[in-house]
Amino acid sequence: MRSLILTAMARIFFAIMLAGSVWVLLRGHNEPGGGFIGGLVGAAGFATLALAAGVETARRALVLHPVVLMGAGLAIAFVSGVPGIVTDASFLTHQWGSLAGVKLGTTIVFDLGVYMVVVGGVLSFMFRLYEEDAA
Amino acid sequence: MDLSTVLLASLAGSIAAPFIVARTGAVGGVIAAALPAALFAYFFAQIGAVGAAPIIDVVPWVPSLGIDLTFRLDGFSLLFALLITGIGTLVTLYASSYMSEKPPFARAQFLFYILMFMTAMLATVAADNLVSLFVFWEMTSLLSFLLVGFQSEDAKARKAALQSLLVTASGGLALLGGIILIGIEAGTFSLAAITANPAPVLESPLLPAIVACVLIGAFTKSAQFPFHFWLPNAMKAPTPASAYLHSATMVKLGVYLLARLDPVFAGAPWVGATLVAFGGLTMLIAAVQALRAIELKAVLAYSTVASLGTLVMLIGLDGPVSSVAVVGFILAHALYKATLFFCAGIVIHATHETRLRALGGLAKLLPLTAAATLLASFSMAGLPPFIGFISKEYLFEAKLESSLDTIAVLIGVLVNAVMVAVAGVLALRPFFGRAKKPFEVEHGERPGMTLGPLLLAVVGVTFGLVPSLVSYALITPAAIAIYGAPFEVSFKLWHGFTPMLALSGLVVALGATLAWFWDPIHLALRRRRAFDEVFLDRGYDLVLGRTLALARSSTKVLQNGDLRVYAAVVSASVTGLLAYGLLVGEGPLLPAVAGEPVRPYLLVVCALIVAGCVVAAAVPSLVTAIVAVGLSGYGLALVFLLNGGPDLALTQFSVETLFVVIVMAVLLKLPIVAKSSRTPRERLFDATVSGLFAAGVLVATLWIAAKPFNPELTEYFAVTSVPEGFGRNVVNVILVDFRALDTFGEIAVVAFAALGAWALLRTGSSTKRTGKEV
Repeated sequence: MRSLILTAMARIFFAIMLAGSVWVLLRGHNEPGGGFIGGLVGAAGFATLALAAGVETARRALVLHPVVLMGAGLAIAFVSGVPGIVTDASFLTHQWGSLAGVKLGTTIVFDLGVYMVVVGGVLSFMFRLYEEDAA
Repeated sequence: MDLSTVLLASLAGSIAAPFIVARTGAVGGVIAAALPAALFAYFFAQIGAVGAAPIIDVVPWVPSLGIDLTFRLDGFSLLFALLITGIGTLVTLYASSYMSEKPPFARAQFLFYILMFMTAMLATVAADNLVSLFVFWEMTSLLSFLLVGFQSEDAKARKAALQSLLVTASGGLALLGGIILIGIEAGTFSLAAITANPAPVLESPLLPAIVACVLIGAFTKSAQFPFHFWLPNAMKAPTPASAYLHSATMVKLGVYLLARLDPVFAGAPWVGATLVAFGGLTMLIAAVQALRAIELKAVLAYSTVASLGTLVMLIGLDGPVSSVAVVGFILAHALYKATLFFCAGIVIHATHETRLRALGGLAKLLPLTAAATLLASFSMAGLPPFIGFISKEYLFEAKLESSLDTIAVLIGVLVNAVMVAVAGVLALRPFFGRAKKPFEVEHGERPGMTLGPLLLAVVGVTFGLVPSLVSYALITPAAIAIYGAPFEVSFKLWHGFTPMLALSGLVVALGATLAWFWDPIHLALRRRRAFDEVFLDRGYDLVLGRTLALARSSTKVLQNGDLRVYAAVVSASVTGLLAYGLLVGEGPLLPAVAGEPVRPYLLVVCALIVAGCVVAAAVPSLVTAIVAVGLSGYGLALVFLLNGGPDLALTQFSVETLFVVIVMAVLLKLPIVAKSSRTPRERLFDATVSGLFAAGVLVATLWIAAKPFNPELTEYFAVTSVPEGFGRNVVNVILVDFRALDTFGEIAVVAFAALGAWALLRTGSSTKRTGKEV
């Protein structure tokens, strides 16, 4: 059962939701948002695409396998804590610097890891559920 | 070089070694042996310095908990370090020759375990902080598990490995409890500080608990009654590992710890009496079992258990001589027992025969092995001029001088006579006895395998002839280190005509008689099956079996695969706990609720939530139920939003949305309107459980709301969030910065849970395998 309207709009929704999720991720440190919420919104975006255009399309849009994405997220979150060991002798003590007047910290790297784990985690089994359905 | 640097180098070398061994042939073992040899040289060079004062190296680890990686090398640690690295060198050489027929990977793996074990063992005996000592202690247990189960295709080896791990690791847990209690009472985990000022521990009302925990830890590790059974079973390990771990070094760790804590426990005489009782009992059991054992390695294993019992008994005895006896016996035993294990390995390797009574006439085929065995067994029998003789003289002197002399001497004479007999039979039977059938020796003696036993055997004679070699350099500092105060040590061969000499003579005479009548005694004892019931691991099997049965039956009841049962169990337990807290706790059942102005919009939202719940419980259509649950969820998110929790609300909204999307995928496979499979009675039960659960949560929530809110944390985060976390969103700053480690743990949990679901949902298999469910 494919809805023409949903299929037509899905890519637009997907793009908006993905952009929204990244925006939520980035603003998280100062405004409501962050990796967890961003990841959930992002996963919902991919879910919309999968519902409307099929799991294969959604998988291609994700590029990476969801499980790989999840693992990469964990690894990135881990790596973001390493500079803390080097400078302050304590894991996950975040470091801050500024680049061209914008304050940047390793927190955003950590939050990106959280985002990736949530997106990968949700999609890893959701794609499977929908694939089984098609079969 | 600092001690910590040396240990780190040892670790690095142990990790690098297998890569070298796997890529080189026979030379690889020699290269790998360079690591323990270099460490031996390092520790040897420290003898002079340690004689003057202990070497201390402080490395902070978890200062907030009083845990550090302080390493302290005194006489006793140094003796162990030299044994570990010295015998470690020979074991590495021996093992690479013993394993030369094995594929390179297995060879590399084995040497890796051995070298890692050596590193862990060195760290254990060098650690001053009890908590870090415990960590390294458990590392040795794990490596022992890997080595016992090395021939993993053998089910018996796997069982023995599991048994050794379960016994030593559960004992380790008891030890950890003891260590924490000691730390609480003494205010420090430092061994040196605790033994220097034993009063807080000795006067503590918790002393019986501390002693019980430490003794369980030490007894499991050192195979004392009633945990003695795992060591003979651990002989499934390849012989080099048996020689190293289960005779010369690891099993002595329990003794090591008891000796270390002796200055503390000496203040409570009943501890010493307990040690003498358990040590004595272990000695007797091991002596009987040594006479009954069939296999060559089992005989050696039981004699090791007897020796460990002897050491435990010696530590329990009072007086400074017992310290000398402990140190002397540790050295003598390591030298001769490692030799005997090495030789047993050569014999088994060459003949593929493991039974002692089947062996014979091997002196012509394995002459060097025969010579080494002969020398080592003389030392074991305590004949002059071997080091075993000197250590036995001290053993009897310590027993005679203690306040428990009669019983200690009696057990000592009996068990040592058996050890003399065992030594005689081990040396004579396989090499000079008549063989039942002529043996084909597959491969003769290899230099890598004979070097170790010969060297150790010769060292045993040399130390016996010239005791001054070890007396001042090793024995004296080690004995003083465990006695806790300096005293005059005389470690020499000839003491004149003393009661000890008479006892030695008696022991040798008795032992010779036993050895002469070995066969009839062995067979008569074997026939007594009752010993098997008492002395073997029946108790272990019983406990393990019962535990597994309990796990199975509780799983059958609590986790039977029906989701409703899970939900009922969880909510009933939570309700029960809440009810207990509310009924037992102080004050009235319901708190006084402060009057608050009613906010109409919240009432509307709450009505929405309640409506969602009622509909979900009442409708037969699953789709309607899902939508209704979603309604409740959105209502809850609105409550968060209206009460100033935008992050929480946003998360809740996203989760609710995704929930519907995910559940839809499942629902597509189910009938739209499902006929309820629950009987009215079951539904009544469900309603009761959920009603009580709701009531409990309501009362608990009222109580939480009634308590005055402690704003300390809120204020702390509000103030520090921007200057320290550089973010205005306090929730996010807590998540990614203040409590980042928690978040890291959480995302790891999310990842693993998702991985589990993903694996279970493998396409096509889930419906087939689980049958009617899904």
